[in-house]
Amino acid sequence: MKRFFWLSVVLAGLAYAHHSFYAEFDGNQPVTMTGVVTKVEWQNPHIWFYIDVKAADGAVTNWGFAGGAPGQLMRRGITRKVIQPGMTVTVAGFRAKDGSTNASAGKVTFPDGRSVFTASAEDKVQGEGKP
Amino acid sequence: MKTPILSAAVLAAAAVCVAQTPNPISRTPDGKPNFTGFYEWPKSLGGEQCKCSATIFDRKYFAPLKPGGEKFIEPRTGDPRHDEPRDYCMPAGFPSGMLSAYPVQMFQSKDYLVMVHEFQRMTRIIPLDGRKHHEDLEPTYYGDPVGHWEGDTLVVETTGFKRWSLDDYFYTNPNESRMHSDAMRTLERIQWKDATHLSYNLTIDDPKVFARPWSQEFQMRTRPEWEKMGLLEYVCQENNRCPGGKCGGQ
Repeated sequence: MKRFFWLSVVLAGLAYAHHSFYAEFDGNQPVTMTGVVTKVEWQNPHIWFYIDVKAADGAVTNWGFAGGAPGQLMRRGITRKVIQPGMTVTVAGFRAKDGSTNASAGKVTFPDGRSVFTASAEDKVQGEGKP
Repeated sequence: MKTPILSAAVLAAAAVCVAQTPNPISRTPDGKPNFTGFYEWPKSLGGEQCKCSATIFDRKYFAPLKPGGEKFIEPRTGDPRHDEPRDYCMPAGFPSGMLSAYPVQMFQSKDYLVMVHEFQRMTRIIPLDGRKHHEDLEPTYYGDPVGHWEGDTLVVETTGFKRWSLDDYFYTNPNESRMHSDAMRTLERIQWKDATHLSYNLTIDDPKVFARPWSQEFQMRTRPEWEKMGLLEYVCQENNRCPGGKCGGQ
């Protein structure tokens, strides 16, 4: 039942939308980061969450990830409790066009293998072509 | 003797049929179709046309430009404040806002239909009391709507647009442009299609731009289960981190 719920969440993630992904993120620069969540902004127009990513040399960089609107996510069953500070997550998305350490948040995977899509529907998701 | 028995059987069967036929149209006490409730945004009948933000118009329904209509095409300038004003939390306008992929709640009284769209909390207060459009109103993002009933169809005519916001595809596709004149008006024809869907027919009539009015048919699905959560707040300015594509705030 739980597995069905998360599968539903992933599929439902493909059906909702918000504003211009391509104005902000580069669909040719996929990034996948693993780190510890430091902050969650469950706010409009897009949720943002931040993770500390540790490089091989030990340097830590804080990356910001943008997802869908809170209302869109909540109607998919994703509440603000799903991603909380202190959690370790792996996030797959696309880097911001401006070269900052920000990216879109597509698939978010937790250590136990569960995953959610936090993206807006128009956002490009890794593994698919351009619309 | 057989005939009366047969007639009685037929009548009884007919009565059962009538009793079992649900009334597919919700109505107000004064007999008008009742649109009060929660709905999905208008969706294309043939499925979505692109993986972009919400429903978009299908170009095959566009009327051709009339001679001289080209001068109303608004080229993109490269400035996102013009090309994608929503990046700065400017209003989506009508009909783009209406087509955005968020819930719509409608409230209907004898004299008004109020549409509240969760995206940007777009609110349209549509008088149904027979009034005319405002005169000398400065053009606005959502225009000046008035509604009237044609049988069971509510017809909403909107004029006085600041711009034709089209839809997400036209906002975000660099190969597309907007176009509109001060003569543009929209007509929405809203009626119950069945017990769980509204027919939402949208006409774009801009006699300075297009050779004729043109329409696209959409539908809006009822979502009574969204009543419990209700519409959520949408304050775009709250955390707009990427205005103009500058996520780092430069």
